[in-house]
Amino acid sequence: MSDAGGRGGDGGRAQTTDGALLEVQDLRVHFPITRGVVFRKTIGTVRAVDGVTLDIRRGETVGLVGESGSGKTTIGRAIVRLYAPTSGRVVFEGTDLASLKGAGAKQVTARLQMVFQDPYSSLDPRMSVGKCIDEPLKVHRLGTKAERRARVEELLGTVGLPARMATRYPHELSGGQRQRVGLARALALRPSLVVADEAVSALDVSIQAQIINLLQRLQREFDLTYLFIAHDLAVVRHISDRIAVLYMGQVVESAPTDVLHDDPLHPYTIALLSAIPRPDPEIEARRTHIVLTGDPPSPAAPPPGCRFHTRCWLRQKLGNPERCEAEPPPLASVARGHAVACHFTDEVRASPERAAVRVGGSSASA
Amino acid sequence: MTGEALLSVRDLVVRFDTPQGEVHAVNGVSLDVGAGETVGLVGESGSGKSVTSLAVMGLLPAPAGRVASGQILFDGTDLIGSPERDLRRLRGKDISMVFQDPMSSLNPVITIGEQVTEILRAHEQVGKADARARAADLLRQVGIPNAEDQLVRFPHQFSGGMRQRVMIAMALALHPRLLIADEPTTALDVTIQAQVLELLVGLTRDLGTALLLISHDLGIMARVARRIAVMYAGFVMETASTVELFANPRHPYTVGLLNSVPAIDDRGKALRPIEGAPPDLEEPPVGCPFAPRCAWRVSSCWTEMPPLRPIGEGTADGSGLEHEAACHNPVTAEEVRGAAPLRPGFVPAPPPAAAATASPEGPA
Repeated sequence: MSDAGGRGGDGGRAQTTDGALLEVQDLRVHFPITRGVVFRKTIGTVRAVDGVTLDIRRGETVGLVGESGSGKTTIGRAIVRLYAPTSGRVVFEGTDLASLKGAGAKQVTARLQMVFQDPYSSLDPRMSVGKCIDEPLKVHRLGTKAERRARVEELLGTVGLPARMATRYPHELSGGQRQRVGLARALALRPSLVVADEAVSALDVSIQAQIINLLQRLQREFDLTYLFIAHDLAVVRHISDRIAVLYMGQVVESAPTDVLHDDPLHPYTIALLSAIPRPDPEIEARRTHIVLTGDPPSPAAPPPGCRFHTRCWLRQKLGNPERCEAEPPPLASVARGHAVACHFTDEVRASPERAAVRVGGSSASA
Repeated sequence: MTGEALLSVRDLVVRFDTPQGEVHAVNGVSLDVGAGETVGLVGESGSGKSVTSLAVMGLLPAPAGRVASGQILFDGTDLIGSPERDLRRLRGKDISMVFQDPMSSLNPVITIGEQVTEILRAHEQVGKADARARAADLLRQVGIPNAEDQLVRFPHQFSGGMRQRVMIAMALALHPRLLIADEPTTALDVTIQAQVLELLVGLTRDLGTALLLISHDLGIMARVARRIAVMYAGFVMETASTVELFANPRHPYTVGLLNSVPAIDDRGKALRPIEGAPPDLEEPPVGCPFAPRCAWRVSSCWTEMPPLRPIGEGTADGSGLEHEAACHNPVTAEEVRGAAPLRPGFVPAPPPAAAATASPEGPA
């Protein structure tokens, strides 16, 4: 991988692996913990994202799962440049985003859009729906007033809202309708990558299904690439081609969706799969659950070695080997497209817990 | 089952008076919870599931919320119209509740120890030292490590999962006969959710406490409940044993709900969402509230809400629990899989002319 080449005004060209639309390389986003008002001093660091590497190919959907504090939202925000990375690179369409300034930045970031969890707080309550969707068009000076109005109507139609919605205000809309407006706004600049951060998490199930189907239709129609961030593994699995599982700012496992489900190799992934309640009482009655003990540690003081070792069920079974505490496991490739960060993948493979998760899954219910 | 039910809600109607008009939150709900039984109340936002439980607790926000009619029988006594003094004795001691957000149900400026002992001392004659010892015991029971040391800490010093454990400890402190848990794990991460669910189910089983679990999550229902009631727009649409409801859903809304959930096992299968959005509860309900979104509707659906009545020839699991649905045109077993009416020539009945002017607002 070459370093970011000429740091020109419109962004340095960086070499990308074939087909990758977005490359995240060893991304770190740390937030200082400060104390005092007048004399601010930094008393610690929250390592929200701590060395994440991730590729997204054109046209695919990559799911990012993790619990609160895992850093998934921070990654999304660093990609759309809402946060500045502490270190590492984000290369989008061959351009290192850190090198961008001014007009060049505007051009590139137009193709990089984000949809948020709460469409109520991400839409300006004093702006009509039409104005809200028009805003990015205006900022980027796309078309005359009449052209923009036509485009707004077209976008509303695209997300399944009638044109008369343009005069409404966010508080007059339901949650599902608001999320549709958020999508129309994100699509206004014809992005290639959409970062969807818990985009369906706040919606009721019946509405959630409508928005998931809409996201999939839009992807086909506009050739979109998604980074789909969510805590709900069932939803992520439904929509994603590949999934990366995060724990405390690091990727612990990444694999094609079916592989992650059928062949999980990280103890945390297995615990997550086991924790998800299935909407089927017969499966639920048969399943055994791995219940993790304790809470995730504070990201201001991550445990040494493997960050999951304090809650790991496998480590407890293996008699708490020292290696987990002493040595952080690297994210190592175990098969094509499947990478795991665990010292004991062979033991995971042989464990009855892993078999139980798989038996509770597709094979038994089919 | 009405005879021996611990809690029996009969034709409950709850209204809210708002500046915009009357909100029809609960429109005639009947529900039984037997002693020691675990019943799930499932529904989406605005379905009236939380309002129903608040009415049972006598905690409807006054003066806006009021029980307009119906009965809430607890152990044979109608709680509606009971003096506040009696209700206060009942709450905490015989019926208690766990809410979704433990942070807003715990007092932020009082230590955990004081909050737990307060409950014990409010209902029982116990000395300070005894109450403290029992509080520590309770925290230990819900899996809080170093319980004694935790008593002097404040709610903000606990994580979300730990706070919910404290709430459960408080709710079960007096061994109530009924625990109402309203979305108790919704705000928690999945791995923590699993811990708290296991705790809740284990403790209520050990104490013989009946559990009315309210949730939007069908997966949690499948894991925990023995019987489920599905609510929509203030009505119970369908009720059956959990196994029966998932195996043989008969109400079109239940079928739509089940088809909306991305099952982890069948990736790639397109979801079949329910089109449209829930009704505006400010309008008084005319006919079945689900009719505008329903593919099975017949003309009477627009004018008449069918009562909840027994359906089918008994249950799949032999539990003997009645399967009931409030539907003029229930879904057949073959139609469940197709998620659409299969009868040749069937078209959903158009709205009557009068209702046609109030056209729906497009998709949700």
